[in-house]
Amino acid sequence: MRVLKITVMVAVLALAANVAFAGPTYDRVMSTKVIKAGMSNQGIPGGFINDKNEWVGFDVDMATEIAKRLGAKLEKVVVNNNTRISFVQTDPPKVDMVLANMTHKRVRDEKIDFSITYFFDGQKFLAKKGVVKDAKDLANMKVGSMQGTTSIVNATAYLKKLGNPNPKVIGYDGEIAMFEALRSGHVQAISTDSTILLGYAAKVPGQFELVGDFISDEPYGIGLPQDDSAWRDVINFTLQDMWKDGTYMTIYNKWFGPDTPYAFPMTEKIEMWP
Amino acid sequence: MFKRYLEKPLVQNLSLLAMLGLVVYYFAFVFEFKYDFNWAVFIVEGQYGHMGKLMLNGLNLTITITLYSAAIALVLGIIFGLARLSSFKPVYYFATCYVELFRNTPLLIQLFFWYFALPYAFPEEIRFKIFEMDFEFWTATIGCGIFTGSFMAEIIRAGIQSIPKGLLEASYSSGLNFNQTLRKIILPLAFREIIPPLGSEFLNNMKNTSLAMTIGVAELCWSMQEVYSLTYHTFEAMTLATAIYSGLSLSIAGILNLTNIKLRIFPKGHKPLVRKIADIVFQPLDLLGNAMQRILWHFRKPPNASKTVSPLKRFLNISWAGLILSSKVLFVAALTFLIYKAFLAISGFNFEIIWNNLTTLLIWRFPNGDESEFFLGLGGLSGSILIAIISITGSFFIGLVVGMGRTAKNRAIRIPSTVYIEFIRGIPLILVIFWTNAVIFGIVLKIDIQTFWAGTIALTFFFAAYIAETVRGGIENIPVGQVEAAKASGLSYFQTMRKIILPQALKQMLPALVGMFIAAFKDTSLVYIIGVMELTRAAYAINNRIMIYPFEIFTTVAILYFVPSYFMSLYAKRLERKLSPENVRIEM
Repeated sequence: MRVLKITVMVAVLALAANVAFAGPTYDRVMSTKVIKAGMSNQGIPGGFINDKNEWVGFDVDMATEIAKRLGAKLEKVVVNNNTRISFVQTDPPKVDMVLANMTHKRVRDEKIDFSITYFFDGQKFLAKKGVVKDAKDLANMKVGSMQGTTSIVNATAYLKKLGNPNPKVIGYDGEIAMFEALRSGHVQAISTDSTILLGYAAKVPGQFELVGDFISDEPYGIGLPQDDSAWRDVINFTLQDMWKDGTYMTIYNKWFGPDTPYAFPMTEKIEMWP
Repeated sequence: MFKRYLEKPLVQNLSLLAMLGLVVYYFAFVFEFKYDFNWAVFIVEGQYGHMGKLMLNGLNLTITITLYSAAIALVLGIIFGLARLSSFKPVYYFATCYVELFRNTPLLIQLFFWYFALPYAFPEEIRFKIFEMDFEFWTATIGCGIFTGSFMAEIIRAGIQSIPKGLLEASYSSGLNFNQTLRKIILPLAFREIIPPLGSEFLNNMKNTSLAMTIGVAELCWSMQEVYSLTYHTFEAMTLATAIYSGLSLSIAGILNLTNIKLRIFPKGHKPLVRKIADIVFQPLDLLGNAMQRILWHFRKPPNASKTVSPLKRFLNISWAGLILSSKVLFVAALTFLIYKAFLAISGFNFEIIWNNLTTLLIWRFPNGDESEFFLGLGGLSGSILIAIISITGSFFIGLVVGMGRTAKNRAIRIPSTVYIEFIRGIPLILVIFWTNAVIFGIVLKIDIQTFWAGTIALTFFFAAYIAETVRGGIENIPVGQVEAAKASGLSYFQTMRKIILPQALKQMLPALVGMFIAAFKDTSLVYIIGVMELTRAAYAINNRIMIYPFEIFTTVAILYFVPSYFMSLYAKRLERKLSPENVRIEM
């Protein structure tokens, strides 16, 4: 019994000692020179595992470039749709920034901070070629989307607006499951941010097409820990520097240029401060 | 002196209260969560809809799947359990294949197989027709049913076989015919043997339905994830889901306990209150049984007075035999066709794909992995085995302590141990993994830990509860006389445990421990959900990359899971036979 009591006491003390001191991210990164970046490994072409089992993608290149400019070492951490917020939200944060196809939304901004928009996307539908002649056809189709994203909420709302009071929208666990469901015919269309749709459609060229208009705006921001303005400034300035000296467009064209499988024309300009 | 003091119930209750108080005090006042609790998320309608309703929908779906799949499992279990007793070999082999195949592969892989690969066996038009009909829901329901059915078949077979031969001989020699023996002797006894483990399979089945989330069925676990992804209130969503699962488990366990009490034989005139309650609850069933008996009595066969058989009767007998023979032939033909089809399918596999990815499936990227990955990118099958070994080793020690704690006389030890065991056993493993990864490491301890370790620790604590139960069973199986003898010869509690009880109990537990290891090995597939690169996740990643060969990949993975599990289960059976007390000869 006494042994037990002592064990309990020790455990309690150990717990108390473990409440780590959370220093601002900026200080930590600058002193340790290590940036931990949370990225998806399922979002083609944002961040994915290629044929050689390497982790590559637009977001990965962006993170690498940011780390290079800050003179820090990049440590890559996998996040998914369900963990990308919580990894920067925890205190201390598990990662210093998150680049994972994450739309800057007000609800999310209440929990974490965001950089300026670094990528402009929108939600669309992807279907087998020729299946959807008109956007209205989508209303009564079985549509796949991803759990833990707002895509599923948007898609449901859109189908309701098209006149189906009880739309069938299935939330899959991640991009792969969603695309697999479309490819095998489990669903007739899938809906999420258009670049992800492009990325997956490019795996089997010529079979799928984007249909309809953008049903929402999805401005991507880099997710950052809440209330660390020094760190946010550094990230914003770096993004603007990258835009200014053309590195941004180099990376952009590497992944989304006209002769890539994921061609996606750049139509906007990131926010620049003089 | 101190010891006697501890034996007082008051002191025990006080120390229990003190422990509880300490925990509450620590988390309420000392500990900084740095997390804003908001329980209103379930009541207030937010930007993305009503979260409480979302959870309720999830609960509804979980219950529906549970009920349907339990019914399917029971039917399959009875059919295949009886088929395992058949003297007609093809039926026996078919049933054995079913049982071994589905017991020794993880449910998650089975679900993936049904969901991703199976539809490709059908032509396109039929496939699309199938997808139209709530395919996700039915895959989950039937998948869970088939999985649980294989366990139930084994329980039913063991229950029927447990009836001693002597009883049958006695019943035959007292003039009962086969039907009477079956109804009056075999089934009542077998039921007593079968019902308790069958009940816990129903409970497991309920917990297993949480895996339906992985194929997009919006059941409770899925809703929980959706709530915390949309509102970022991880803690609240998980607490609610855990409470609901515990509630479901408790109600199922309650029904099971009542059934067990109803089945137990009490001496006449000594019915405890619970038995009276059980009697009332099962009254409708009793009435039904009595009514059936009364109706059947009118249809009873007259005693076979004449020794001659009428031509009609003979014709019926012959045609009955013919029917049985032709159904046997038909069964063999169908089985041959099935084997032929499976053979065709397998020979049509793209073996190059399997061969090219085999190393990845076995060791993932070892030793070329990133620094952020676990141990140079080790994963795949060896990762799964590693997780299973580490977690079973860890849970063995925790389970030993907790299991001993549950048999302790001191309430301050017994009650926490019991609560731990029953709580963990009442919730699905997925939830334990989520809790460990997100809440315990993320919110409470705030330690950044590799998902590999988070998953391993979750499995450790999960299996510790099960091992503790095995330990308790082992300890309670030791005859009381031995404990008394040890006490009389002056051994202390720990000496008794160490020298007398544990050596015997552990030896008896060995087969169960091997079984637990198999279960842990299969359940490593669940840590895929938090992104550990074990076999399932590796298969998933490869399927992602190649996309058009789901059959090849998931079959290979199923085999990779099946082979080690199957051989370990054979080993467990051999151990059991070797260790069973009937075969142990006491040497004087």
